[in-house]
Amino acid sequence: MDKPESIEDLRRSFSYGSRSNLNFKFLKDLSDEEFGHFLEQLLAAVDSSMDDGDATGAIDVAFRWQVQGYSGHLGDPAEFRHRHDDVPLATMSKPLNESRVALITSSGHFIDGDDPQPFGEPSMSQQEAEDRIQEFLREAPTLSAIPFDAPSEQLRVRHGGYPVRAAATDHQVALPIGHLQALRDEGIIGDLVPDAYSFVGAASQLRIQRDAGPAWAEQLKDIGTDVALFVPV
Amino acid sequence: MSVGHVQRAVEAAGIPTVGVYVASFGHIPGLMGVARALVTQHPMGRPLGAPHDAERQRAVVRRSLDLLSASEQTITDYGEAYRIP
Repeated sequence: MDKPESIEDLRRSFSYGSRSNLNFKFLKDLSDEEFGHFLEQLLAAVDSSMDDGDATGAIDVAFRWQVQGYSGHLGDPAEFRHRHDDVPLATMSKPLNESRVALITSSGHFIDGDDPQPFGEPSMSQQEAEDRIQEFLREAPTLSAIPFDAPSEQLRVRHGGYPVRAAATDHQVALPIGHLQALRDEGIIGDLVPDAYSFVGAASQLRIQRDAGPAWAEQLKDIGTDVALFVPV
Repeated sequence: MSVGHVQRAVEAAGIPTVGVYVASFGHIPGLMGVARALVTQHPMGRPLGAPHDAERQRAVVRRSLDLLSASEQTITDYGEAYRIP
């Protein structure tokens, strides 16, 4: 007879397990007691929404526990693996309305016809990216260039580490190319570099820190970047 | 963490940077020594706002760009709660 599923098994099943849901993969890091509180609050919020149709409460519960799952279970900050006590600081050489702005997001967007083809595989699905998350976490990331005037129907997104539905529905939740164009046209920013950039943030942290980060920094300098906006997801 | 590494490298190369981090990763800029960050009260995967909430997305971008002139480490909470337009 199979061993009964424990509460811990249940919590973990939402993180790339039998009930995988990237909006709720944080449940694996909650204690069983916290998980109970989460369920109680979520059910109460859903209960309330049944009569007024307003899901705001349920969204808020999910959001607050997501924050608790990630920020509330860090352990000792001194032991944080990627901790740095220094802060590199550069100074603007000109005002924003004269500056060329670059955009880099870890959203996993790319333009149709320029699929980064992870592991050499053409047209990998979102589901396969999620199924192969451990392989992604060992590999170097690929930087995809996306013209700021790319039509939305030509944009694709695939990323095994976060729920991409919002970014697929409206790329500007993470890739604000239209908003930056508008700010340029209004004279708020001076100009944009030729392309925006996106990569899959679920990649080897060592390779990003050691290789990709410095290489991409040089790339941004070479194309005349004055300031850079980053959008992690 | 990925963006934290890249943001540090770009800043170290002499280019001022700012990052928009969702609240779940609001601890990253401080722990990783990132120069400037705006932290939004948005769920993971929607850093600038909900789909088609162009007003919020645009306001977040504007606010983040305003941080670029800061000459010391600046981590600011955007403050507004997530909303569905």
